[in-house]
Amino acid sequence: MSAAASPRRWGGRLRGRLRGWLDARRRIAPIYGINRRNVELVYAHNPRRHYPLVDDKILCKERLAAAGVPLAPTIAICRGLFEVDATVRALAGRDNFVIKPASGSGGDGIIVLGAREGGAWRTPKGRPVDADAIRQHLANITFGTFAKNLEDRALIEARIEPHALYDALWPDGVCDLRIIVLDGRPLLAMVRVPTRRSGGRANLHQGGIGVAVDIDRGETYRAVSKGRAIATHPESGERLVGRRLPLWGRCVEVALAAAAIVPLGYLGVDLCVDRRWGPVIIELNARPGLEIQNVCARTLGDAL
Amino acid sequence: MASPRQRRRSLSLLVIAVLVALPLAALLYKVTALDYRIANILPQTQYRVRLDMALDGGDRRVRVATFAPTDDARQQISDESQTSPQVFHYSVEASGRNRQAVWVGAPVPDGVAIRYEFSALLAAVRYTIADDLEVPESYPRAIREHLQPTEVIQVDDPEIRALLRELDADHGPILRRLEAIFAYTSGLGARAFKGTTDAVTALRLGEASCNGKSRLFVALARASGIPARLVGGLILEPGSKRTSHQWVEAYVAGHWVPFGPTNGHFAALPSHYLALYRGDEALFRHTSEINFDYMFTTKGRMVPSVEARASFKAFNVWDLFARLGLPFSLLQTVLMLPVGALVVVLFRNVIGVPTFGTFLPALIAASAGATGLTWGMVSLVIVTGSVVVARLALQRLQLLHSPTLAILLTVVVMSMLGTSLVADALDLEELARVAYFPIAVMAITSERLYLVLVEQGPREGAIQFGGTLLVVLACYLVMNSMAMQVLVSGFPEVLLLVIAANIYLGRWVGVRLVELWRFRGLWRRGAAEVRA
Repeated sequence: MSAAASPRRWGGRLRGRLRGWLDARRRIAPIYGINRRNVELVYAHNPRRHYPLVDDKILCKERLAAAGVPLAPTIAICRGLFEVDATVRALAGRDNFVIKPASGSGGDGIIVLGAREGGAWRTPKGRPVDADAIRQHLANITFGTFAKNLEDRALIEARIEPHALYDALWPDGVCDLRIIVLDGRPLLAMVRVPTRRSGGRANLHQGGIGVAVDIDRGETYRAVSKGRAIATHPESGERLVGRRLPLWGRCVEVALAAAAIVPLGYLGVDLCVDRRWGPVIIELNARPGLEIQNVCARTLGDAL
Repeated sequence: MASPRQRRRSLSLLVIAVLVALPLAALLYKVTALDYRIANILPQTQYRVRLDMALDGGDRRVRVATFAPTDDARQQISDESQTSPQVFHYSVEASGRNRQAVWVGAPVPDGVAIRYEFSALLAAVRYTIADDLEVPESYPRAIREHLQPTEVIQVDDPEIRALLRELDADHGPILRRLEAIFAYTSGLGARAFKGTTDAVTALRLGEASCNGKSRLFVALARASGIPARLVGGLILEPGSKRTSHQWVEAYVAGHWVPFGPTNGHFAALPSHYLALYRGDEALFRHTSEINFDYMFTTKGRMVPSVEARASFKAFNVWDLFARLGLPFSLLQTVLMLPVGALVVVLFRNVIGVPTFGTFLPALIAASAGATGLTWGMVSLVIVTGSVVVARLALQRLQLLHSPTLAILLTVVVMSMLGTSLVADALDLEELARVAYFPIAVMAITSERLYLVLVEQGPREGAIQFGGTLLVVLACYLVMNSMAMQVLVSGFPEVLLLVIAANIYLGRWVGVRLVELWRFRGLWRRGAAEVRA
């Protein structure tokens, strides 16, 4: 080995490092972190004064319903402690409904009730819930137990019956569809599939599975559970990748229609596909999470 | 053409430019026109020296005397105090050039303790002696005694004279003579000998302790016609010791110039040498047979430089606080909070460390000033731990919010008192000062920890609490930097720079360090999967 070879080799290695570093920077640039999401998407497109429109599920529903956007039918609204008894009476003859706090987040305080057996309703897991338990839960919601405020309202709406495909992915809970919309354009989409570990909830940080959807074709192409790519549901064994989603075009249409109605430019629109009503809006989110980038293996920057 | 985003961007840049330019201009003006002393911004070490003396009086009359340090060009003494049993009369007497602290009492019992302490702010000195300076023909009368021989400084001894000739130090300029004497005495072997060594003995043995070398130096200098004297004092290092030190001073061109032949200081003295007395004296004089023992204990702490403070003329917040009777520690806290908050912002928005709130880590760090970092953290863990336990216990009772908080506040106070009590019993002085922690800061921290624990689980609670402790650590290091504190108190306008940095960070859209890991699948080579 000649004496000159060594520095040349070092120089080459250094250049290689530098090039690798610049490459990495170029690949990092389109990733949206929290800073960039807040400055370029949330602050730039979502005036804060309009947040209550989406943060309050009842306000949001009224607004969307008025514009004719499809929603799960509302059964009752409980505006305070004084209405708890009346609400429980109104529910007496009904079954298959969901009780939600209007200002809750992360699925806290949501109870799903199925068929009535004897004096009690059964939850999807089979736990009996009687009228007294519902009264108690409604009182808790109105006291703001699940909200950041000191008081809240409860929304009772008809329970979704998931479309056959979603029901096949996970029969014990409801899979929802999250579409990120910016100024009328769908950017990224995923299906959130609950697991037993996630307690039947679809939120990713609670253990739900994220399934990436190709927006143009309405087909799933990737599934991620706890940061790892998978092909089938670890519990139901159902194939998650390569599934063509039913009524996909309509789903995107409904999401864009809902997004167009509220004065917020950047939204995470959550929908479910019901076998009777087709796609219905579940809720809108003014600060949707960034994990969808990991699920879709695609940065928001690239999607833009 | 410009989009709102670009307009916002250029507006931010403009504001940042103004906020940077203004303080820089003010800084420049203060340094050039008002003669602010930036060089003195570095803090100094102030030593607290404690002398503990123990003796058995045997119910007789006892007199104990030692030297009390004096102020001079390089040392400033303050907060001098003593504690001794009632039987003693304490006085400070002038004794020639020195000050003597004297305790006299009768009848003094056995097992008596006397404590004498003071604070000292010291400076290093270095003299330059012109190399053509000759030994003068005569000296003022007061100086002349420093040419005289004594019993242990045998100036006229033939061996001393012979050595002087041998060193070639009996003629020529002062500098050359002192160099030769210094080289010889500092070249002598070291000898750990506690008693007195006279000059001739040191010469004959060829080795000596500090007092032998110093006496030989003084004898040679005097024999050469240069007035010289011994200096007794302490080398201040944190810790306890009994050893005192001796060095010398030679009278050159009207100045007493220090030389330390033992540790090789030529015409210079480092900043941790404390002079207690001048002349060939014994450090202690006391009645005999009293079983006398003593120990010096030294602690160092950083204090702002006096010169810097004196030079801050325009809008001196320091003086403002002094006039209002507010302590410097409060000034430190107030001025450094914005800086601490900036550190928190860096950790949260650039690194992505989760913390309890934006200001809480900075507030905790400010509070930890009194206890020190380690004990501050320990206090925080103890108090928040007990409050969270109490909170979990209260959860069963399902109390309303405000009464719950009032109970938690009480638990904070109780756990702080308990911690102080236990710490005091264990002699952990710093931990005992946990009461300095603002109760509200403790209560809020505990409440945040509880909420996260209950709502997001122990894992998330541990992560956020750990993140908070980490950021507290960083805030503490920055906020407790005394150089920073003096800088900000002299130049409060640098707080505009903090605003500028926050505006920049407020528009910074980079990926946080933690997010680089979270989204590693999106940018790492090989990790990215091809879309189906």
